[in-house]
Amino acid sequence: MKRHSLVVLAVLGGLMAHAQTNTPGAPSAPRAPMLIYADSADFDLNGHEAIYRGHVRVDDPAMKLTCALLVADVPQAGGHPNRIVAETNVVIDFTDSKGQTNHATSDKAVYLYNVQNGVTNETVTLTGNPQMENAQGTQAGDVIIWDRANNKIHFDNPHMISRQNLTSMPASTNPPVTMAKTNIPPGTVENTDRTVTNPPVTVVKTNIPPGTIENIDKNISNLLNSPPPF
Amino acid sequence: MNAKANIAPAWLAAGAGLWFVVAPGVHAQPNGVQHANNFTSTEYYGPTNQQQIKSILSGAEALPQPGGLLIIKQLKLEIFNPDGRLEWVVNAPECVYDTFKGVASSPGHLEVRSGDGKFRTEGDGFLWRQSEQKLNISNNVCTVIENGATITIKP
Repeated sequence: MKRHSLVVLAVLGGLMAHAQTNTPGAPSAPRAPMLIYADSADFDLNGHEAIYRGHVRVDDPAMKLTCALLVADVPQAGGHPNRIVAETNVVIDFTDSKGQTNHATSDKAVYLYNVQNGVTNETVTLTGNPQMENAQGTQAGDVIIWDRANNKIHFDNPHMISRQNLTSMPASTNPPVTMAKTNIPPGTVENTDRTVTNPPVTVVKTNIPPGTIENIDKNISNLLNSPPPF
Repeated sequence: MNAKANIAPAWLAAGAGLWFVVAPGVHAQPNGVQHANNFTSTEYYGPTNQQQIKSILSGAEALPQPGGLLIIKQLKLEIFNPDGRLEWVVNAPECVYDTFKGVASSPGHLEVRSGDGKFRTEGDGFLWRQSEQKLNISNNVCTVIENGATITIKP
């Protein structure tokens, strides 16, 4: 599988204004908490794992996520959840620094976070018909990896589904609809179709005298039973 | 030390050893099990760390019921690790603890938070299975995770 990497600055822009970066020495501010809502949840305090079920909603400073099932690490004291897995009807919405709304969908999303040698790694991997949509169009791929720490999005086998924005297109590109001249007599499409598929019934002229098939058979049998004319 | 190792004995202390609590108001019941008000039960680590508190269970009232059940009102359970650091705090207005099965449950509200307060969850209706060390919250779950991370502001 050919792996293609795209830097989608237009999509991300300054998206990660809330995300950690690897810039050393930069001033910092507290990060807003992550909120998780669900119908129900199971907590394994020994295994430090939480499973949320039903109408799961995650409100993170950088994104909003909804899904049907979410499995998350219960972080150790003062820690950060290292792994969050969202499954079934995953929808992620985020707004970049330009105020542009981005909308991603997939069957599954895996969030991974770790710090190695002072470098923060933070990714969201979308699999299962992943798509990412914004005002410019929809991008899809076999796998979409959102590298939150580096403001990049990687697509495996990417393809883009363009979508015209009618409000931003010049008027000349959308000419007014005019009626084309044809030889077809006036009528609606419905009537035209009906004419073609259901032609008018016409009476076919033959030499057979008027009568039903039953009478015809009777006449034939009479002819057979009658004595020969000689 | 994880919560599993800590929270189970704490619940056991609530069910089996409630008569040892420091309770200002203790009233004998006909069945011999005592009713306690404003009780506190403290559990310590084993022989290797006898002076270290493992858990503190407190409540406004404990009402023994037939069949080994115990109704605890204004429950507060604090769990510590061997280093003395507060690891978990559990609060519930009321719950029923089955001393035989080791199961605590309630249709009411529950709040759980980590010792540093950075992980908090709450909901309505819960079941705590002591043997499996698992907590189920059945309705209206809300979790807050403050990871302590910071936003790096680029100059």
